[in-house]
Amino acid sequence: MEREVERYRKPTRILHWIHAGAFVVLFITGLILFIPPLGFLAQDSWTRVLHRLAAAVFIVAPLIYVPLNWKATLRGIKDAFSWGIEDMGWAIAAPRYYFLCDEKSMPPQEHMNTGQKLWWLMVIVFGIIFVITGLIMWFFKEIAPAALLQWMVLIHDIAFIVTASMFFLHIYLSVIHPLMRPLRTGAWSSMARGKVSAEYAKSHHGKWYEKISKGEGAKSS
Amino acid sequence: MSEKAILFDATKCMGCRACQVACKQWNELEGENTTNRGTYENPPDLSSKTWVKMEFREIQRGQQISWLFTRRACMHCTEAACVKVCPTKALYRHELGFVAYDKDLCSGCGYCVDFCPFRVPRSKRDLVSGIAKMEKDTFCIDRVTTGYEPACVKTCPPSALKFGDRSQLLTEGRVRVQDLKAKGYTNAYLYGDKELGGLHVMYVLNDSPEVYGLPVKPQVPTMATAWQNVIQPLGWILGSLTILGLGLNYLIAREAKLTRELPGKKEK
Repeated sequence: MEREVERYRKPTRILHWIHAGAFVVLFITGLILFIPPLGFLAQDSWTRVLHRLAAAVFIVAPLIYVPLNWKATLRGIKDAFSWGIEDMGWAIAAPRYYFLCDEKSMPPQEHMNTGQKLWWLMVIVFGIIFVITGLIMWFFKEIAPAALLQWMVLIHDIAFIVTASMFFLHIYLSVIHPLMRPLRTGAWSSMARGKVSAEYAKSHHGKWYEKISKGEGAKSS
Repeated sequence: MSEKAILFDATKCMGCRACQVACKQWNELEGENTTNRGTYENPPDLSSKTWVKMEFREIQRGQQISWLFTRRACMHCTEAACVKVCPTKALYRHELGFVAYDKDLCSGCGYCVDFCPFRVPRSKRDLVSGIAKMEKDTFCIDRVTTGYEPACVKTCPPSALKFGDRSQLLTEGRVRVQDLKAKGYTNAYLYGDKELGGLHVMYVLNDSPEVYGLPVKPQVPTMATAWQNVIQPLGWILGSLTILGLGLNYLIAREAKLTRELPGKKEK
């Protein structure tokens, strides 16, 4: 049996999949409002009720996760906001890597590579934007001034467009891109089983692999 | 068919509020439980069960006090913000000009409530579930499409409300305003002639609209235009380009990966 290293602990994986599930429901019930011919699906408020149920899960899941896993949370937030010159290296290599499958062009990456980090940062920022604008439209509909509610609709919509496009990208790069096809390694394996082969960790997250080999405590999230 | 309209002559209105009662009766709307607020004006605001309501204003003109009456109900705009923002297209412009809605289709999102420049549509919503239905004046669609005038017009004792072809009422309103000007009401104004592409409820006023509590230049909110005409098309473009780009990437990357692997396999 090949030696494996842990990338995501069980609570983190559970949070990921619950959040992903809630997001998909929110995505579909929200998308209906963009497509007038599908408007009949929204009648009598029932997709809006689903949207609220999913929103409750979307909000509550991290609220349960954070106090139980505050060390991992802090580490995760720190990672999301740690940007440096090395990230340029990823950006420069990315076209060769993702189009020409030239895996050698990529400089060694941390636990999250720059692209993953960007998506993770967007999840935090847009997650908060969604929740704030959404809660205002949910609970302050009758009392907030119309001008504020108009802004909330607009911002919620912009956040939807940006995250929806990035969501496609996320799924694509996780399981569809030719380099990601072997399901026993890489992103799918990280989030489904929590583990990847040491070989994969070494070649795709070199900096992180070095740290865990030295036992520097830079563990899985 | 030619567009229909209601002409409200505020100078003929006597504030009896029979229109409010007729509206409730014809549309079978529940009464409101209200308290005495020290005014004859009642109920205090439009609601999901009050679709038309008279507003009373006392203003001083020189030594005289004038008692002004403003009708509050859907203005049935040509450029209707509510129709623009309705995501399910429950709200639509009827061929007779007015703004109608298919209540079954209403999702209860309340965008029309937030975007109407006259603050007309209302909804009663459940705070937790968000379940709601928009309600507003229907122009008595059931009566109008079968050749009758709206209930409020039918009942109006001083004929301050008139129903007919919009073009005809427009001429009538203009003549009235000229008469009022000749009588010394220099600010007399026909509200709804040009506003929002032409309203289907027009007011003959003996003073400027702001005195009557009407928005002077009502507009489809900039936010509605930005959202519907800019953000949503951009959203479709960004979303489709992303998917297209990913498909393209897949084709190129798969080809590249195969070329990289093939020589290796041949050697074996």
